[in-house]
Amino acid sequence: MEFGWTEEQLALRERVSAFLRDELPDDWEHIASQSPGSQAMTDFSRSFCPRLAAAGLLIPHWPAEYGGRDASTWDHFIIGELMWAAGEPRGPQYYNVNWIGPTIMQFGTPEQKELHLGRIRSGDVVWCQGFSEPSAGSDLAALRTKAARDGDRYVVNGSKIWTSYAGLAEYCFLLARTGSERKALSVFLVPMDRAGITVRPISSVVGDGDLHEVFLDDVEVRESERLGAEGAGWDVARYALNYERVGIPRYALALRTLDRAVAVLMRDDNFAPVARDAAATAYAACEAAKLLVYQVVDERAKDAPATGITSMARYAVITAEHRVAEFVLDWTPHLFVSEEEPMVATHHKRAIASGIAVGAAEIHLNLIARNVLELG
Amino acid sequence: MDFELSADQQLLLTSLRTLLQPFRSPPIGAHGYVQYSEALQTELAASGFLEVASQPGYGLLDAALIVEEIASCPVSVEAAASALVAPLANQAASPMAIAWALDVPVRFLTVAKTVCLLRQGSWFIGSPDAKNVRQVESVVAYPLATLGAAPSDAVIVTGSTAEAITRRALIGIAVESAGLMRGALEQTVQYAKDREVFRQKLAQFQAVQHRLAEDAQLIHACRSLAFRAAYQDDDKSARVACLYAQNAMRKVIYDCHQFTGALGLTLEYPLHLWTYRLKYLQGEGGGKAEHAQRLAESVWELPNRMEPQRRTKRC
Repeated sequence: MEFGWTEEQLALRERVSAFLRDELPDDWEHIASQSPGSQAMTDFSRSFCPRLAAAGLLIPHWPAEYGGRDASTWDHFIIGELMWAAGEPRGPQYYNVNWIGPTIMQFGTPEQKELHLGRIRSGDVVWCQGFSEPSAGSDLAALRTKAARDGDRYVVNGSKIWTSYAGLAEYCFLLARTGSERKALSVFLVPMDRAGITVRPISSVVGDGDLHEVFLDDVEVRESERLGAEGAGWDVARYALNYERVGIPRYALALRTLDRAVAVLMRDDNFAPVARDAAATAYAACEAAKLLVYQVVDERAKDAPATGITSMARYAVITAEHRVAEFVLDWTPHLFVSEEEPMVATHHKRAIASGIAVGAAEIHLNLIARNVLELG
Repeated sequence: MDFELSADQQLLLTSLRTLLQPFRSPPIGAHGYVQYSEALQTELAASGFLEVASQPGYGLLDAALIVEEIASCPVSVEAAASALVAPLANQAASPMAIAWALDVPVRFLTVAKTVCLLRQGSWFIGSPDAKNVRQVESVVAYPLATLGAAPSDAVIVTGSTAEAITRRALIGIAVESAGLMRGALEQTVQYAKDREVFRQKLAQFQAVQHRLAEDAQLIHACRSLAFRAAYQDDDKSARVACLYAQNAMRKVIYDCHQFTGALGLTLEYPLHLWTYRLKYLQGEGGGKAEHAQRLAESVWELPNRMEPQRRTKRC
């Protein structure tokens, strides 16, 4: 059991940090204060990701045959941790490199790999994830969007909701029903300019550009656009979620936000003992989350099956995010509404979704109860 | 980063668990508030497990693994100070008692061969004089006594070694707390699986599942932070581990007692043997208020030391 970084990992951390220092513009934090799916962040990602790719830092974890360097899971994670701490300059494209690309590698036809992987690895394409529906969020298998077979094509009808980045996405990683059994689902790689697709943005407190409704009315999808076998969509989706089991290292931005808020309190000579107590408690929560996430990475790095640690880590991250968000509201409430520290308000927008998106907090508790404590 | 136990660590724990097996079963029937096991204390002394940190090829993390495992048993023995602090005190005789001040209840003082007394940043280490030890009767599941004066044969440890002793004592609190919480939760989870209410097992109610799941996450994090503190042996990680543990245990204790109901409050049921050691540890070493202040100073490099607003004596 060891708790330190290797020399190589420390060198990578410094290399990525240096890249961020050099490549992020002076007004980056004002750009990053907008949602990852906003026009500003999406546009920025289209210039940033190619530079990241040129530096060998966009997809190093991909297999060499697909343009990567077979870099380790830890290397991939280190890059992601530093990117998130910086405000995620990869914008909506972090999806692509983290799980969409790897899932296409796993299940795609040669033609699908040819069509999609090149643009993902060059940092030049935006995807959205068509999973959740009005009646299917945590209970994803209850989805109703139907892809009816018609010869060598499918006709898709239904709707998706909360779809991040749909407003500017070129492709949708769509999960649809192709049979009557509950898990008779299939995945389709659908161009978003296909006739019959309507996207409606949803304004929310998490910012513009992140949440959308996507309506599919008699959308024709070719058989060649199906990813994996018909009816294998649940396995494809599980592979994607399992590959991405580590999740976003949200504690990294939380820690940075905490530092910023404390810096303001110190500047104003207002960091009283009670505030120090709250700050230290939030810090400890972030450290706990970080350590549990590292354990998930360790499992992933060893190709071990996902265990209950995944849900424990996710729940710890949610707690840490909210602790920091509450610290800001308690001790530096003006930062929540002002432009003084844009990333502080940004953190709140991202933190509030932490226990709702990508597996609700209560679902993780269900999984801990079942997989760790063997209850129910 | 590597979170798997090494082969040596697995072997160490397997051997320890064999030794601990007779002591896993809670006492049957009514018993007192304290279940100090002289038999286990003697076996541990003879086995060498508490001296593992000083053995070639082993270190503080291995000692922490042992302390955590021992703490998960329903019996009370002194292990943390012997395993983690004694290596800095010329392997002083075990059992050891850590006294954070005079005239406050101290764990294991009645059986200790060595007491470490903290006075104004220095540690006074020596044999407790019987005339200065006064036993304290309480509901806490540790044997307690107060120390009225420093040991007459005390060696005074100052400077960086004194700071290291403080740090090791805090790591001991975090590690022992993690083991105690684990034992309490295991007992409670089994109870929830067995107990039937409203025609189903208590464990089938989602409200119960969720709270126990939160406790499981807290405890796993406590263990992870405590082991990291032992591995790194630095002040910041020791304070993080202590602070997190002393916050987490409140909920764990509360939930364990809520789900075991009135039965869990009795001395016939073993839950108190874990939770009423945890309650003592909740304020140990200055408590979470102290740890939070010191941690804040460390993390944000604060120039001015502020004392937490405490009116009670430190335990």
